Amino acid sequence: MSLEVIGLKKTYYNSDKKRSNVHVLQDVNFKVKDGQFISIIGPSGCGKTTLLKIIAGLEDSTEGKVFLNGEELTTSREQIGLVFQEYALFSWRTTLRNIEFGLEIKGVKKKERRFAALEYIKKFGLSGFEHKYPRELSGGMRQRVAIARTLINNPQVLLMDEPFGSLDSQTRNSLQEFLLKIWRKRDETVLFVTHNVDEAVFLSDQIIVMSERPSGIMKVLDVPCPRPRDRTSRICNQIRKNVLKYVIHDRWLNPHSKIPFVAPF
Amino acid sequence: MTYLKKLNILLLISVGFTFFSIIPALGGNVGKTFRMGYLQSDLHQLACWVALEKGFFVQEGVDVEIAGIFKAGPEEMMGFASGSLDIGYVGEAPATMAVANKTADVVVLAQVNTEGSSIVVKKGSNIKQVSDLIGKTVAIPGHAQVQDFLLRKALVKYNVDAGRVNIIVLKPPEMIGALKTSQIHAFIAWEPYIAKAGTMGDGSVLINSSDIWPSHPCCVLVADSTVLEKNMQEVKAIVRAHMRATDFINCNREEAVKIGVKYTGMDENTIIMAMKNITYTYVPSVEGEIEYVNFLNKLRYLNVSDSREFADRFINMEILKEIIKK
Amino acid sequence: MKSVRRCIAPLSLIIGWECLSSYEIIPRYKLPSPVEVVVGFKYILLIGMPPGFHLHNHLIYSLYRVFIGYTAAAAIAIPLGIFMGWSTQLRELMDPIVEMVRPIPPLAWIPIAILWFGIGIKSAAFIIFLGVFFPILLNTISGVCSIDPILIEAARTLNAKTRDIFLKVLIPAAVPSIFVGMRIGVGIGWMTLVAAEFTGVKTGYGLGYMIMVARDVQRPAEILAGMAVIGSVGIFINKGFRFVEAKIVKWE
Repeated sequence: MSLEVIGLKKTYYNSDKKRSNVHVLQDVNFKVKDGQFISIIGPSGCGKTTLLKIIAGLEDSTEGKVFLNGEELTTSREQIGLVFQEYALFSWRTTLRNIEFGLEIKGVKKKERRFAALEYIKKFGLSGFEHKYPRELSGGMRQRVAIARTLINNPQVLLMDEPFGSLDSQTRNSLQEFLLKIWRKRDETVLFVTHNVDEAVFLSDQIIVMSERPSGIMKVLDVPCPRPRDRTSRICNQIRKNVLKYVIHDRWLNPHSKIPFVAPF
Repeated sequence: MTYLKKLNILLLISVGFTFFSIIPALGGNVGKTFRMGYLQSDLHQLACWVALEKGFFVQEGVDVEIAGIFKAGPEEMMGFASGSLDIGYVGEAPATMAVANKTADVVVLAQVNTEGSSIVVKKGSNIKQVSDLIGKTVAIPGHAQVQDFLLRKALVKYNVDAGRVNIIVLKPPEMIGALKTSQIHAFIAWEPYIAKAGTMGDGSVLINSSDIWPSHPCCVLVADSTVLEKNMQEVKAIVRAHMRATDFINCNREEAVKIGVKYTGMDENTIIMAMKNITYTYVPSVEGEIEYVNFLNKLRYLNVSDSREFADRFINMEILKEIIKK
Repeated sequence: MKSVRRCIAPLSLIIGWECLSSYEIIPRYKLPSPVEVVVGFKYILLIGMPPGFHLHNHLIYSLYRVFIGYTAAAAIAIPLGIFMGWSTQLRELMDPIVEMVRPIPPLAWIPIAILWFGIGIKSAAFIIFLGVFFPILLNTISGVCSIDPILIEAARTLNAKTRDIFLKVLIPAAVPSIFVGMRIGVGIGWMTLVAAEFTGVKTGYGLGYMIMVARDVQRPAEILAGMAVIGSVGIFINKGFRFVEAKIVKWE
């Protein structure tokens, strides 16, 4: 199974003639092998979120297609799940009822979905908070609920849009480890958007670096570090340095220019 | 904030409250211009309009201005209570209520009219006598007013339990429309609404007030006690003007009708018919007043222990006697 | 201690009032003393105003009228508000009418209401309907419009169809606003009712009507007592609403 994006282009057309159209994605092409953890890094406004939304089916592309396992994705995107940075939990539903939302939509009977949801609650360390409302949970807990809510539907591809961006660094680290733990036992492909290079290096098998708007793929870097990952290992550091070369703040470069590349080994 | 500060603020608020309340309490100026009130389109009070039109007040040397035209007696009594009126033409019952409840301090100077009210039913209805009103809806202009009294007196006279009649309150202008659309089965009001119901073709008289209580007092001319005390001579002049107007009505029917038309806005035929039902006189009846007080006591609106004493205090016969002597 | 503090202002007001009355700074007929008002309350409770028409019956009739008008208004305003919040087209269509009718005070409708519905409960309920309708409608629309779009996106990624989004996301998210509208509406409805009853009632019962009679028979103490009852019931209704609101909207 694989996810493939071909020639994706997204332009926001402005009906007001005085303002020009906004070209967000220019020519995005990449292929993701099944079961891989891929991070996407890029400057602000380069369309990382737009890219995820297009893959998730929340927005249409101006040109280009998305393929899953060779089949073009049209309207039904049941196999794709999306986790938002702002959690997007339903504030009027308890933890339990938030998690079982997707099953409820599918029409799964109450007893079954309760059972399934409780499993996730146990696995994700949320026991005791089944009947609490989102406002009563900490940021880290809320994101765990959000992830559970998505994973319970067993998507083949999990899209994550800077999911740990609003958390403090300690919670962030523990959630990264939590995510890896969960992911190791499952077989989803994960597309993880982040600003944080350390995070990308720690989590992923590959890092896709996007250019500035109108964006395309600038570079794809492998992260061949062994799992379980050690944040402080020399290899991780070297890869970090490599990535940073492409990610230096003010100097996002045109995808067609040549950049020195230092091999990790 | 300390307790002392809070106390100071409270004191300030109380003082401010008092201050702003005294201002209206000082109301009720006693000047040379007499502020008068009367009831809208109440043909009983024709003498008032005649005195105004023919300039009787002016001729007697008094300056009178209209300070209020009211829809019903209780509202006019509120005018006295708030100090906005010096003299007024008003129903005897609401005036009695106000004085007995101590909300206004007025005395009766002269009678204005007797009789002139009727119970009206829809033309062609099957209510042929008072006892047919059982279970029906009857409208009165207001509680504890002359008409309320008359209705209940009629019910008692014909052995009908008032509790079995649905009595509601409507303003007289609305009564005719309500009767027409059958929202009520009958109403009791003052002229010219009776005649109007007849000429408009919707109502017919069930019983006249003269049959319920012959020569019953109806509207009176009252004055604020304080005003009377301070302006005895002028008030006497007002009473004289009123008496002249009353005599005028009884001697110059045609012209009186025209004045009635002007002040009610109704056509001549209606006014002529209405006037037939009213007796214009200026002699008050203490016995009549006693009966009102007893009635209001019985209905538990009042708690006047000595109705005769009250009536004697309420009606000032002296001024009238003086004027007649001369 | 807190409840003692809250009583200080009203208590001193009443004491100041009693002083003003007993020292005749303000004449008694203009402002009956607190004691007289209590006596007046006894009167309307035990004897009735007019005599025979007791306070609790007036109260029941008034509450009934509000109930009818309120229920009708909520039943129309809530669904309409949800649809108007959901559909920009519908909103643009209905807005001119709503904006034109809304500023007309319900009481101005009284003559028309009586013409259309007669002097019974229907016209009173209609006046209340007009007072209650707009707060509920506007708050409902606002509740729907202010939903964070990300919630709808989340629902879509969880495979919700339009119907699911409508029932499981839109409406629950709007519920807190709807409740606010309903609470404001009931307050306005209660105020409107009493004023509407001033023009007369067919049954002879109603708190506004009772005050009108007290006015007609020149009994200011009973007027104030009646007003106190109306105010107290208003507080009671509001507290009741907040209680129900807290029970249902547990997540805010």
